[in-house]
Amino acid sequence: MKKVTRLGALVAATGLIAASVLGTSAKAADVVELKMVAADYANMQPFWDDLSAKFTKANPTIKVSVNVVSWDTIDDKVKTLVATGQTPDVVNKGDYSAAAAEGLLYRADEMVSAATLADIVPTFLNNSKYNGVAYAVPDLASARALFYNKDILTKAGVKKLPTTWAELETVLKQIKAKVPGVYPYALPLGPEEGQAEFAIWAGGNGGVMFKNGKWVLNSKENVAAMTYLKKLTDEKLTQPNPAKCDRTACAQALFAAGKAAFINGSVFLAGWLKDNGGAAINLGSGSFVAAPGKTPVTLGVQDYFTAYKANGHKAEIAKWMDFIFQPDNYAAFLKAAGGFIPATKSAGAAAAKDPALAPFIKLLPSAIFYPGDQAAWPAVKGAIQQQIGTALVNPQKTMDALQAKALAAAK
Amino acid sequence: MPNMLKRKSRLGALPWIFPALFMIFSFVLWPAFEMVRTSFQEVSSSGITKGWAGIQNYITLFDNPDLPNVLIRTFIWVAGIVFFTIIISLPVAQLLNAKYPGRKVVRWAVIIPWAASVVMSSTIWKWILDPYYGVLNKILMDLHVYKEPVDFLANSKQSFVWLMIVAVFVSIPFTSFVILAGLSTIPGDVVEASTVDGATAWKGYKNITFPLIKPALLVAMAINLINIFNAFPIIWVITAGGPGYETDTTTTLGYKISFRDQDIGQSASMASLNLIIILIFIGIFLKVSKSQEDK
Repeated sequence: MKKVTRLGALVAATGLIAASVLGTSAKAADVVELKMVAADYANMQPFWDDLSAKFTKANPTIKVSVNVVSWDTIDDKVKTLVATGQTPDVVNKGDYSAAAAEGLLYRADEMVSAATLADIVPTFLNNSKYNGVAYAVPDLASARALFYNKDILTKAGVKKLPTTWAELETVLKQIKAKVPGVYPYALPLGPEEGQAEFAIWAGGNGGVMFKNGKWVLNSKENVAAMTYLKKLTDEKLTQPNPAKCDRTACAQALFAAGKAAFINGSVFLAGWLKDNGGAAINLGSGSFVAAPGKTPVTLGVQDYFTAYKANGHKAEIAKWMDFIFQPDNYAAFLKAAGGFIPATKSAGAAAAKDPALAPFIKLLPSAIFYPGDQAAWPAVKGAIQQQIGTALVNPQKTMDALQAKALAAAK
Repeated sequence: MPNMLKRKSRLGALPWIFPALFMIFSFVLWPAFEMVRTSFQEVSSSGITKGWAGIQNYITLFDNPDLPNVLIRTFIWVAGIVFFTIIISLPVAQLLNAKYPGRKVVRWAVIIPWAASVVMSSTIWKWILDPYYGVLNKILMDLHVYKEPVDFLANSKQSFVWLMIVAVFVSIPFTSFVILAGLSTIPGDVVEASTVDGATAWKGYKNITFPLIKPALLVAMAINLINIFNAFPIIWVITAGGPGYETDTTTTLGYKISFRDQDIGQSASMASLNLIIILIFIGIFLKVSKSQEDK
């Protein structure tokens, strides 16, 4: 018995040595696994699984496992992974600045090749910087417009689209009087996207969150914008619960059901309506309204790829990122995400011919963006999402509280 | 010799108590220790530990302008729900204990909300109360109580009351079954004897039944106290503590500090404070129940 075992061991050992000399087992041992966490734009998991399989076929030594996480929980998830020492290699979500400030991230020029970097739209790359250095690669962007239900406007006899706050108020009152059972404006100040609704209304009054190196959440312009929204709510020109109304489940759902006349919608709203029971809505869109003497703005929102240094997979990450940005793969990514504005010049040229996207791409130069390059932005965003709804009770008090939180987070 | 034997037999017990010890250390003591340790550390918003922070996290926490209201609300939350749960569960337990055809079905019906996960029950309640699609609005509008749909959760005080109602609803099954267990230990002849002696139903309940189910009642109260204090899913699913912080208890506030305000250290100090609060609650409870027993 003993002899046989020994013999067996000898054979096995020889086999192993032979195998490693021939390089077969070395190959198996050298496979690097990249871990990626990606936000779920639409149904992204099949897309990423497919892409990572293709990538491993082309690069047998690198495996990529992509974990698609819903927007609600992705920030919590990534934070927990980092805190517990399971840092992912690549993350695809809506912010980067806090991680960049802490030196956790590779620079954009380390993440992708020079050719890929040169293809990124400069505006978007500029919004990916921390202290002047790009630490993230933009993946796609969206812009917003004032969408309306054409049928409701016709019923109410609205001939001309409102362009100012006063005109909007008049039109909303007209709708309320003539079309019962419809909420004139769907106002989502709930946690899901409260910061977007706030940013665009404040922007229409020339208000921003961050100016000349300082947080200015309680600026005169911002408080005035929230005061205007409070007025609309008090006059019952919105749905009854703006403070807790989330964008998707509440505002967009009301709009899809034909129960709301106006809504602040993103570029993908038309596609979303089709998939969510609003295909029959006669959709129109126009530029957002502004306060007297102010120019209307659109809100540009972009998301990012970031790469974490923790596992030291720089070379592999660069290969994977370049693979994502290969024109065919990137087009598939945009298609899976559903109707967003591309972040590359090459894909942007094609998108500019798309009638659904063209108007938004034209608006982008006048777009305001979140202060995403500030390290405190994730915390400020969280605070706004929590509290902006209470501004409908006391605008000044809420904006002061938010300003205090921003200052504390920026310390 | 006897000493050695004794030591050996003590060690011999180890394999049997090891799983329990392991559980207590790894799932109770160690996390609690880590929590308290984190509360004295500075943790960045990305989740990296930066070093010791002394009591800075506690100072920030006590400076939080929303904390006083949240503490008051937590007290109302725990005291109100435990009180109403007990008040309603007493007659429910009596009903479950009475003998009548179909009692089995009634017992099952009471168990179901308990068997369902709290997240599920909360989600169902959220949709019942929904202003646009909710069944409660539909019923009230069909009865012409309201002309337009009402959002029961729009006003923070009103929505807090609804949250409490839901919490009472999900706590009743467990509580009434614990009381039922107490009821079934009462020997039938004691009750019979009191009836023979001329006690009315109410008198019999007050002087015979109630004192005998008191131990079960105290257990039910203690467990409810802890459960309700820690009840996260009901609030989180239905209002997420909003608008603002107006329906938060200390449990949801701790989560928000960590994952919305991105301040893990302060959140850990909130959690440590939570531990102290629940210990105080239980301390008061033990004192009261002890003095009750002494009577």
